[in-house]
Amino acid sequence: MYRKQVRRRRAVLALLVVGSFVLLTVTYGRGSNSVQRGVSTIFSPVQSVANRALKPARDLVNWFDSTFDARGRNGRLHTELEAARKQSVGAQTALAENAQLRKLLALDRGGAIPSGYKPVTGEVIGRSPTVWFSDVTIDVGSGSGVSVNNPVVNGDGLVGTVSAVIGGSATVTLIADGSSAVSAKVVPLGVQGVIRPAVGDPGSLILDFIDSAKHVHRGQAVVTAGWRAQGLSSRFPPNIPIGEVTHASIEEQEAQQQVEVRPFADLRNLELVQVLTGGSR
Amino acid sequence: MIVTPKILARLVAIVLLGVLLQLSFFSRVTVFHTSPDVLPALVVSLGLLGGTMTGAVTGFSVGFLLDCLLIAPLGGGSLVLLSTGYLAGLFRERFEIHSQLVAPLLCMVLTLFAELGFGAVQLMLGIDSSVSTLVIRDMLIKSVFAFFLGWPIYLGVKRALRPALVEEPAVRRSRPPTVLGA
Repeated sequence: MYRKQVRRRRAVLALLVVGSFVLLTVTYGRGSNSVQRGVSTIFSPVQSVANRALKPARDLVNWFDSTFDARGRNGRLHTELEAARKQSVGAQTALAENAQLRKLLALDRGGAIPSGYKPVTGEVIGRSPTVWFSDVTIDVGSGSGVSVNNPVVNGDGLVGTVSAVIGGSATVTLIADGSSAVSAKVVPLGVQGVIRPAVGDPGSLILDFIDSAKHVHRGQAVVTAGWRAQGLSSRFPPNIPIGEVTHASIEEQEAQQQVEVRPFADLRNLELVQVLTGGSR
Repeated sequence: MIVTPKILARLVAIVLLGVLLQLSFFSRVTVFHTSPDVLPALVVSLGLLGGTMTGAVTGFSVGFLLDCLLIAPLGGGSLVLLSTGYLAGLFRERFEIHSQLVAPLLCMVLTLFAELGFGAVQLMLGIDSSVSTLVIRDMLIKSVFAFFLGWPIYLGVKRALRPALVEEPAVRRSRPPTVLGA
């Protein structure tokens, strides 16, 4: 009895397996057949009703899934945004640095830095906390050949002079500092004077002690004079751009022998500078 | 399982309902980018409750109906699901393990088996595609779903087929037996 039952089971199983393979062989690659069309026709209305009835439940499950997915995606996007922002900031910094280095290179190639000077490039690592921004600290010092009184320039023009040096850093006194005085001349006129900071206005300079007979005009450039006489010479090599004349009234020139100058270098936002070491002084 | 016409009707209803629910609901919802597949779990439950014959026949029927409604080559789904049902039935007949975890674990393992089987049939039929990690991930997640859905499906099927189940314990008496002379 049991054996008979087992045999019958095996027979049914074999029949089902063989039936499956026969069905596969017969129907494979022939598209829909009449059996499938018939079953689909019968089930279509039922499926349609089930579809409509189950739509709210489906929407609910899908809403949960979408919400979780959106939360995960939100977190992922935040991380990506953070990384992109860091990259962007890095790229912008690199671009700014690149622009400054290009300017320095242009100043170097343009002949503004006379032969005999060896420029040493440094980065500003500290600033004076006062409103006057009168001095900055740079990351090159005596180890790089920097010494006191070396002129300091950036891509735009003269920045100041080295006032103190240690092994790996130096303090640069800017031309806007109250103690600074730079002999300068107006080009192309050649009118000479001394560049001093304008009291109470750190963004502006004054070209003082000019020859009142020659009238200086607004927009004219001011460069270092770089004089040399009787064994003495200026700390600054000649023809380094300082700034441009922004205010030059004839009355002021005749009465006070001075004009206002705006420095080319942005003294409040210095990043890269070059110390002109060596020279023929 | 004692298959009477009434039980047969219930089995047919379970199969139809399962296929309809799969096509109208489970196949159209996504959880973790995967749609649950409850049909292997249903076939496993039927196999666990009814044995190899019930598992194999219902598996074949479910597969056949699925192939018909999906306009797929007939026989592929039947072959896979009849094997799944047969294996579930075989487990019931061979092993005497009575644990509440048997149904969900078997649903999980045999769903993975069924999904691999469906993949094998597709490859056998000449679907030219490489097996990407996404497919494997899909299979694994489906089997995890089967673990969680397996228990309620098993309980539901067991409840529907209770009159036919041989091993179903007797209904607990509501009142203690009267002892004569006490």
